[in-house]
Amino acid sequence: MTPDPVILQAGEFYHKERFGPETVNRGAVLLECEWDGGAFESGVMLGGLFRNGEFRGGTFWGGVFWEGQWQGGTWESGFDREGRYRPRTDVPDYA
Amino acid sequence: MPERRHLLLASPHRYPDLARLWYRAVRRDLLPALEGAGFADIQVQIFRDGHADEFDPSWFPGVTLQAPGPGARDFVEFYDAALQASGGYLFLLDADLFFLDGAWPVSYLGEFERPEVAAVSYLRRGALPGVYALLCRSADYQALPQPVFAASYEGLEAWPKAVNRGPGERAALALRERGKEIAEAADPEAHLADFHGTTVLRASREIFGGAIGERRFEELVGEKRYFAMGAYDNLLLGTLYEAVFGEPFAVLPGDAGTHLAGSLPAAGLARALAQVEDPGRRSALLAYFRRSDEAIARLAAREGIALALPRVIPESWREAA
Repeated sequence: MTPDPVILQAGEFYHKERFGPETVNRGAVLLECEWDGGAFESGVMLGGLFRNGEFRGGTFWGGVFWEGQWQGGTWESGFDREGRYRPRTDVPDYA
Repeated sequence: MPERRHLLLASPHRYPDLARLWYRAVRRDLLPALEGAGFADIQVQIFRDGHADEFDPSWFPGVTLQAPGPGARDFVEFYDAALQASGGYLFLLDADLFFLDGAWPVSYLGEFERPEVAAVSYLRRGALPGVYALLCRSADYQALPQPVFAASYEGLEAWPKAVNRGPGERAALALRERGKEIAEAADPEAHLADFHGTTVLRASREIFGGAIGERRFEELVGEKRYFAMGAYDNLLLGTLYEAVFGEPFAVLPGDAGTHLAGSLPAAGLARALAQVEDPGRRSALLAYFRRSDEAIARLAAREGIALALPRVIPESWREAA
């Protein structure tokens, strides 16, 4: 049975939380969180770990992009899974 | 005395008002001392990591203003671009760091007479010297694998226990492996006005402050120690900026020019600090704020100004201390 989707909305703010594959972000700000399998449509991922999922829109800033599909959005800065720094616009090749 | 006297002073900035205050101090206190010590050909580069069209060139006489582009897409990559562009020496200096005494950095130039010395670090904030105030012998750093100064993570498979190395820290380790040394200047607090997190706080306000709302942003400043430090230091720098230039500091684009709206105005910061209940956090913040008060007073003294600082720290904190 597929769990009901959890929608994060604009105006919401989360700190050091983990979000699973049932989550869709539509504008929330995530500080030092872990994203694992959901759809990131808009909002800000500030630090933290993008373990898996689809990044469709929003801003990625200073986090680690471990795995997943980069489909759109703004890469402000971050790190690839080798730990290398990736400057502005330099989305990892595997994403 | 350096055997080669070409020097590139490079500093990334996101906000033109802070850069204006910073460069005023650099021109007054640092450049004349370095010139007097034999650096005859000093170039200054300011990297505009944001708001590039808001940097008024008349505020920065003699400076090359750079903007993001290939090879320097952001401020971290700029450090390496500056290294490759530098001749004999490269001086990296943080946006919220002010030398109060030009004789002090000059007193360490003799360190470069020892060939094993690759750099002098005038400020270390972590376990390893970073790039906050780092005078490098360019050739020693140019010999390291590129990118030289980039931040990195180690041990990511152990997340969240991975090790984050800030800009310049990996270079410090690589130099050590090669038998090179970074000399560290003593007693930086006596010679520097050092402010923390000011740009991070303003960038956070800019990027997501509007999305989470004014009140939530205030709460966040009360919850995150580094944000509180940045907000407090912006309050101090803004007070000095207003006194020196007669203009508001950290205004928000589209706002009516409200002083500190792009950080956290005094009333909001006072409310944020009033939420802090943990005695340990209060004590740590109070110690930090006192250190910052001394730093801004010494920087204001260089301007010939006696500043009256806004009171935002709850009285109960002082009484408890």
